[in-house]
Amino acid sequence: MIRVAAVGDIHLGEDMRGHLRPALENVGERADVLLLAGDLTRHGTVAEAEVVADEFADLPVPVVAVLGNHDHHDDKPLEVTKTLQDKGIHVLEGTTFTHRVNGCSIGVAGVKGFGGGFAGKCGSAFGEREMKAFIQHTCDIADDLRGALSELDTDIKVALTHYAPVPDTLRGEPPEIYPFLGSYLLGEAIDATGTHLAVHGHAHFGTEQGMTPGGVRVRNVAQPIIRSAYTVYVLEGNSS
Amino acid sequence: MESEQYLAANLRRAVAEDPRTAELGVRITVRGDNAMLSGDVACAERRALIEEVLREAAPDLKILNDVRVTPAGEPEGEEDLR
Repeated sequence: MIRVAAVGDIHLGEDMRGHLRPALENVGERADVLLLAGDLTRHGTVAEAEVVADEFADLPVPVVAVLGNHDHHDDKPLEVTKTLQDKGIHVLEGTTFTHRVNGCSIGVAGVKGFGGGFAGKCGSAFGEREMKAFIQHTCDIADDLRGALSELDTDIKVALTHYAPVPDTLRGEPPEIYPFLGSYLLGEAIDATGTHLAVHGHAHFGTEQGMTPGGVRVRNVAQPIIRSAYTVYVLEGNSS
Repeated sequence: MESEQYLAANLRRAVAEDPRTAELGVRITVRGDNAMLSGDVACAERRALIEEVLREAAPDLKILNDVRVTPAGEPEGEEDLR
């Protein structure tokens, strides 16, 4: 059994130092690992990333994060990543994190993800340079996610993204903007790799629970959805 | 007079793109002289800043600010997915 804590879209700014910390002090009693599903900052500045890094530094559980679109807004994703890593946060982008708790191993593969839409209602890499670049960005990220999930050989495999892999967890958002909220290509990568749980954020008006076409549970952990500092999922691995 | 649809769209862009707010998760509905705001933000100061940005962009609108501040306390319980 492994307890996975998760939250996304915390949007911390320099005005919010210490905002989440009181609720994080006891996270070790409730969870074995904490996932951050992107949009950790407001504008993606290094100063905001420092606030995030301090907020999640020195916790009793490993902290694993992906960046979101807000964390890219200042065009400094590498600096933001390094600022978080310097305080011990594991920042994933096409990479993995593994951890063992009570004889059970968990692996997390993470990417930011991107838009494009869902099967039957999605964009194609065709036409203008800008449109091809938009969809190709999603294709590349979905390939990275598939590769990272395939590498994992753990009892439990979790996909961590900012953008949504399924439309289920977007219910409440206007359907017209689904192509800006996620892509079926992420879901396809999750279904192809024996993944147990997919965690994402980004959709503040969505809903928490969903499922991929292949039957993998999906959870939207955007903070306006879960309405707490984090939420906790209890998982059981293949061999535990 | 600017149509309500264009006005609402322009106000939403202002709230998303103004660095004081940078809020993409706030809905703005314009009906007549009223603008209703809904959604969630991280703290009370940001709720007030949205109103400030909108007052500058459309000083004559009456603002119904129904934006909520997202709770950030410890969770209640857990979801068992075993």
